[in-house]
Amino acid sequence: MASKSLSGTGEYIPKKREVVKTPAEKVSDILYWILRSAIVINVVALFFPSFNPARLSEGINKNLSLFSCGVSYDSIVVNLKRALKQEWVSEDAFALIFYASLIIIIAVIIIAASGCLSLGSHKMKKVGLAVTLGGGVIEAVGLAALFQAHTEIVETTLPNKVDKILLLNAEGVADPDYLPPAFILFIVLISVIILLSIVNFFLVPRSMMGEGFSMEPKFQLFLMMLPVIALAFVFSYLPLYGWRYAFFDYKSGETLSMDKFVGFDHFTELFRIPATRRDILTVLKNTLAMSGLGIATSWIPMVFAIFLSEIRNARFKRIVQTFTTIPNFISWVLVYAIAIAIFNTDGFINTFINSFRDPAVDTLASENYLMSNSHMWLKMLAWGIWKGTGWSAIIYIAAISGIDQGLYEAATVDGAGRFAKMWYITIPELIPTFCVLLLMSIANILSNGMEQYLVFSNAKNSAQIQVLDLYVYNLGIGSGLIPLSTVIGMVKSVISVILLFAANSVSKLIRGESIV
Amino acid sequence: MEKLTLKKKGENAGLTDSTTHIKQTPSDIVFNVINYLFFGVFTLSCIFPFYYIFINTISDNELVKSGAITLIPRGITISNYISMFKVNDLWNSVVVTVGRTLIGTCLMVFVSGLAGYLVTKEEMWHRKFWYRFLVITMYFNAGLIPWYLNMSMLGLTNNFMAYIIPGIVSPYNIILVKTYVESIPGEIEESAFMDGASYWTIFRKIIWPLSKPILATIAIFGAVGHWNSFQDSLILNSNSPELFTLQHRLYIYLNQSSNLGAIVASGTSSTDSAAIAGAMNTKIIQYTISMVTIIPILCVYPWLMKYFEKGLMLGAVKG
Repeated sequence: MASKSLSGTGEYIPKKREVVKTPAEKVSDILYWILRSAIVINVVALFFPSFNPARLSEGINKNLSLFSCGVSYDSIVVNLKRALKQEWVSEDAFALIFYASLIIIIAVIIIAASGCLSLGSHKMKKVGLAVTLGGGVIEAVGLAALFQAHTEIVETTLPNKVDKILLLNAEGVADPDYLPPAFILFIVLISVIILLSIVNFFLVPRSMMGEGFSMEPKFQLFLMMLPVIALAFVFSYLPLYGWRYAFFDYKSGETLSMDKFVGFDHFTELFRIPATRRDILTVLKNTLAMSGLGIATSWIPMVFAIFLSEIRNARFKRIVQTFTTIPNFISWVLVYAIAIAIFNTDGFINTFINSFRDPAVDTLASENYLMSNSHMWLKMLAWGIWKGTGWSAIIYIAAISGIDQGLYEAATVDGAGRFAKMWYITIPELIPTFCVLLLMSIANILSNGMEQYLVFSNAKNSAQIQVLDLYVYNLGIGSGLIPLSTVIGMVKSVISVILLFAANSVSKLIRGESIV
Repeated sequence: MEKLTLKKKGENAGLTDSTTHIKQTPSDIVFNVINYLFFGVFTLSCIFPFYYIFINTISDNELVKSGAITLIPRGITISNYISMFKVNDLWNSVVVTVGRTLIGTCLMVFVSGLAGYLVTKEEMWHRKFWYRFLVITMYFNAGLIPWYLNMSMLGLTNNFMAYIIPGIVSPYNIILVKTYVESIPGEIEESAFMDGASYWTIFRKIIWPLSKPILATIAIFGAVGHWNSFQDSLILNSNSPELFTLQHRLYIYLNQSSNLGAIVASGTSSTDSAAIAGAMNTKIIQYTISMVTIIPILCVYPWLMKYFEKGLMLGAVKG
């Protein structure tokens, strides 16, 4: 609604002149899209280990991207320390790889920046193409340096160490003439970029008199947004590329190859292998039980807010609100520290009991309440309530203060008591908020986070406390079973999205508005 | 505007309260007593643990070891805090955590402010698509392991930048800023546009100053999030003890059962070492580090209180 007040801004943008495009311009537009795609691929290839043209020796880590090669020399030679020390191969070649990678990175940055200029006026386009050409030439120089490094490696490698230094070709044989496919890819990319920037330079019409550097507002805004989009892509969408591990037999540090492709084996493993199946069932039981308990008690913050609003003393109310919110802002590690301070062998409860006992006569209390595994679900629920209730109540307190006071006055006139007013006015007014939060928590039923359960888990209670997120962590990071844990994460993500959509459609059906 | 009406309603509520206050039936009194008692106990349960830990860190260590400190501090001293700051590991963690909190929060607030403003501009090229592109990331993630593999592919393991870069773009905060910017009257911006100001100038001179309240809100929440973060240190930087965050360090210390004194002391100079190992036991060290970790949160808490209701309301109306 509020956005409408801003839409007026559009009127102040100078209207676009209707210009009929010449055939040359139409061709140049098409070529521009190819050029921009090549530039985007070039930028992306910088970060992918499988597209690393600088991997010119078997000794260079397979999981190294060109970007890492150009940023740190150590990462290139980390596996080659011995080879370089004993002079199996000249170290200069690897220094050259580092500098060449650095040059390519700088060139790609220049090309990417100049690619952005292609969204501007004719004058800006021309300058942009010139810069692209310059960047392309620099990148070509970098590639040439890489080729030189390759030659040096081939020439200086001791004949008896060829197997350890030279790249293995597709047949797995050390081959002096073999260049990584990524190298070819980069040559193709850079040829396209150089060629198209030259061609387009002549196709883009000459800038008119008085035309300066300018860009349409829509592209200005887009370019300002581009870094944000790129970061969101890299950290939220790119991980999806990791789902491919679910279909391979992968161990940490190896590379993926087609002969390790196992299809849906890891998916069926969840049901096939009894031990895994048993684990999964326990974990699912814990997850659903603890989420279910959370959902079953999700009315507590609402009741908390209703009863708090019955308190007349404003100062007391303020104090309660202030201090009950604190636990929400401390981490689960600190909650665990508090649990230790209260419930450990030398914690508050035991010292408090002992302060009434005489060490000479009575046995002192020294129970460690954290090590027991009884009622784990309820204990975790209690910690969750302790941490979250005050904070969750705020949204209801805000909603209560927004209720029309006339309703209460009318109810008082009609002789309604305190509880009648709560039941017939306050609660019905809060139910919509409650429903939204309830639907959200149902959609999140599988993701109860791992932090709480990780900090509270110990040798005794691990069977009762392990939830799905924690299980994935233990399996993937702890035991290194990457494909299996990826599979579980995948299934969980997909189910969560389905649940979210389901919750959303339920909300649309009942309330007529969506929650996402 | 919304705040004003809310306040008015609150005052009304006060008025009606005082009018009904006159007639109190016995059942009302019973209800009130129970109500006050309940909230009193709950509030106490929320502050007492902090108080208990605190009095144990400032009391005489011998009394603490014998379990004599339960409700009142005795033999007050701050020597525990002084010796804690001789521990290099802890110092390291404090520096890393403060660093990530400052840098990470500043970048996040700037980017959220700029992106929040940009997504309100209808004339942006494919605005709707890019906005959805950002919002979807709140509801969907690839899972822990693909995320970890992605981070290691990008070289963001055992690297300080792993704390900073992934947190820069926060879709939720962008939405909060967007909602706020939409509530700013469009005429202010239009007049600047008429004068030929660029988007960047409008953002810097108009939008940024006017959205200070929401930016302060997300800054404080972001800072608390950075301060409390534990998982990224645990998963990404597990092989670089010099990059452990304070929470991670605390977690490690909490899981050391017996010889924590010796472990902590080994990180200090030899003269301090013996003194620390002698004076403090596991419990005291754990409590002291817990306090070191909690105190900054309690310090920003008054500001949190001031802003969070506002921030939450904005979130609630996002629709």
